[in-house]
Amino acid sequence: MRPYLALARASARSVLTYRLTFVFSMFGLIFQLLALLAIWHAVIGAGQVNGLTWPQMKSYLLVAFSCGALVSLYTDFGMAARIQSGMVAVDLTRPIDYQKARLAETVGGVWIELLVAALGWCGVITLLGTIFWPDPVHLLLFVLSLAAVVPLKFLVVYITGLACFWTQNYLGINWARVAVVNLLSGALIPLSFLPSWFGTVAEYLPFAGITSTPALILAGDLHGLAAVRGLLLQVVWALLLWLLARATWATAVRQLTVHGG
Amino acid sequence: MSSASEPVIRAAGLTKVFRSPDKAPGLSGSLRHLVRPRHTNRAAVNSVDLTIGRGEAVAYVGANGAGKSTTVKLLAGILIPSSGTVRVAGVDPHRDRLVNARQIGVLFGQRSQLWWDLTVRDSLEVLRDLYGVSRTQFTERLDEFDEVLGLGKLLPVVARRLSLGQRMRADLAATFLHGPAIVYLDEPTIGLDIAAKDSVRMFLRQRVAAGTTILMTSHDLRDIEDVCRRLIIIDDGRIIFDGDLGRAKDAYARQRQLSVQVDAPVDLAALRAGLPEAQVEQGASTRELVVVFDRFAHRATEVLDALTRQVDVVDFRLQEPQIEDVVRRVYRGELLVLPPQGVDA
Repeated sequence: MRPYLALARASARSVLTYRLTFVFSMFGLIFQLLALLAIWHAVIGAGQVNGLTWPQMKSYLLVAFSCGALVSLYTDFGMAARIQSGMVAVDLTRPIDYQKARLAETVGGVWIELLVAALGWCGVITLLGTIFWPDPVHLLLFVLSLAAVVPLKFLVVYITGLACFWTQNYLGINWARVAVVNLLSGALIPLSFLPSWFGTVAEYLPFAGITSTPALILAGDLHGLAAVRGLLLQVVWALLLWLLARATWATAVRQLTVHGG
Repeated sequence: MSSASEPVIRAAGLTKVFRSPDKAPGLSGSLRHLVRPRHTNRAAVNSVDLTIGRGEAVAYVGANGAGKSTTVKLLAGILIPSSGTVRVAGVDPHRDRLVNARQIGVLFGQRSQLWWDLTVRDSLEVLRDLYGVSRTQFTERLDEFDEVLGLGKLLPVVARRLSLGQRMRADLAATFLHGPAIVYLDEPTIGLDIAAKDSVRMFLRQRVAAGTTILMTSHDLRDIEDVCRRLIIIDDGRIIFDGDLGRAKDAYARQRQLSVQVDAPVDLAALRAGLPEAQVEQGASTRELVVVFDRFAHRATEVLDALTRQVDVVDFRLQEPQIEDVVRRVYRGELLVLPPQGVDA
C-alpha cells in the first residue's frame, strides 16, 4: 500500500502546478452547466418533465457537472503522452503494478476536482435557489454512488488511453470517448429523454454509472431498491472493467516499441 | 576477471523484432495500406548472447540504432523478447517484471525519472516509498551520494527548474537510491558539460567499486574508459566485439600522436631515418610536425630526443590512443575477431 499512497500524495501535490490549466478546462464544463440550466429552466418552468421538477433538475445538473470534473485532470492526456513519448519505459522500471499506480495518481488528484465541484454547487445554490435534497439514506447512497464514479470513469479513461500503444493519434480517440460518454452517461440529457429502447440499454451500460446513477439518486428519481440496484451495477461494472483493463494492458504492453533512445 | 565471478546477467539468442508498417507515400499509399497492410520486420537485436558477471562494469557501444537501447529495455523487462532467453539474477525480467524491478536501477539519459512538478527531495521520497527503502537507509544513502553529486543544493529545487547537469545528478541519485545490484545506464552523460560529466563518472566509479554491476551505453568514449573494464560493441543488432577494454586498446589502439612546433624548418628525410618505425609528416606549416608512432615501438621521449637533436622544440602535444579508434576500426570491419579473453589480461 505504501508505494501507491506515495504516488497518490505525489499527484495530489503535482495538481497544484496545473491549477491554471485545470481552471481553464473547467470553463468548458461551467459553460455547459450554465447552458443546460438555462435550457431546462425554460423547458420545465414551474411544472415537471419526465417526472423531474426544476429543483430536481438543478440537483441532476450539479451532479453531472461534478462527474464531469472528476477524473478529468490527471490520467487522460498525461498517460497518453507518457505512452506516446516513450516515458512509459520509466514507469515500467518501477516495482509496482501499472494499473494500480495510475489509479492511485488519479485518486490523488481528486481533491482539487471536488473543490471545484463544490464551488460550482455553492454558486448555483446561491444564484438559483435551493436544489432538491433527498432523505439522509438516499444522501448516503448518493455519496457512495459518486465515489464509485472515480474508479468507473478512471477505467474508461484508462482503457481508451491504452489505445496509444496502437495509435499515435490520441486526440481522435479522446473525442470519440467524450462523445460516447456524454451521450450514454446522461451528462447532456437524462437517459429517460432518449428513445425508450435506447435509454433502457444505456441504463445497463457502464457509462450510466459515470453520471446518471448518482445524479438520479440525488434528484430523488432513483430511490429505494432501484437506487441500490444502480449502485450495485456501478460496482459490478467497475470490477468487470478492471479485468478488461488488465487484459487490454497485457496485450498492449506486447505492442510496446519505444522510439528514440 | 569476469570468469571469476558468477554471472548475474545471462542472455542467449536474445532477439527483438520490430514490425513497422510499409506505407507508400500519399493518400493512395495510405488507402492501399488500409486494405492490405504490409509490414517490414526488422531485428533491432539479433541473437545476442551475453554473460555479465557480478560486479562487472561493461560498456555497451554502438552507432545510433545499433540496438543498444533495445537491449537495455529487454534486460530491464520493459520489452518482451521475440525469441531467446534472458535471466537477470535468476529472474526472467519481463515475466517477473516487478521482482526484477526491485533488483535493478535504470537511467535513461534522455528521460528523467523525477516528478517534474515536485522538488528533488519529494521525488526521492516517492521513490523511497515505491521501493520500500527505510527512512534511516534513505538518509544514509543521500549522505553517501551527496559527496560526489552535491545533492544538498538540489534537494529543494523543483525538477523542472534544474539544469541538465543538475537533473542528471538528481537522476543518478534516484537510480541508485534503492541500492540496486544491477544498474543499466543509457547514455548517462548525454548533453552534459565537462564538469558534470566528471562528477557522473566519479560517481559511477564509486558505485562500481562498491560492487554494483553496471552496463552502460554511451557515445562518449571517455565515459567508457573512466568507468568500464569490458567493452561490448553492437552493430546492426549483433554483437561484433566482446572483450577486455585494456586489451582491446593494447591490441588496436597503439598509435600515439605527437604534434610538435619547431623554430626552424626541419629535414624530414633525416628525421624519418632516425625514427624508422614512426610516421613523420609535415603539419599545417613548415614549423609544425606530426609524428605518429606505435607506443610499444617507441617511447615518447625517444621521439622527442630525435627531434631535439635536429631542431629546437618550441611546444609539443601528445595525444593518447583513444578507444574511439578501436570502435571506429571495428565499425569498418577491420577487427572482427579478438583472441578470446585469457588470464594474462
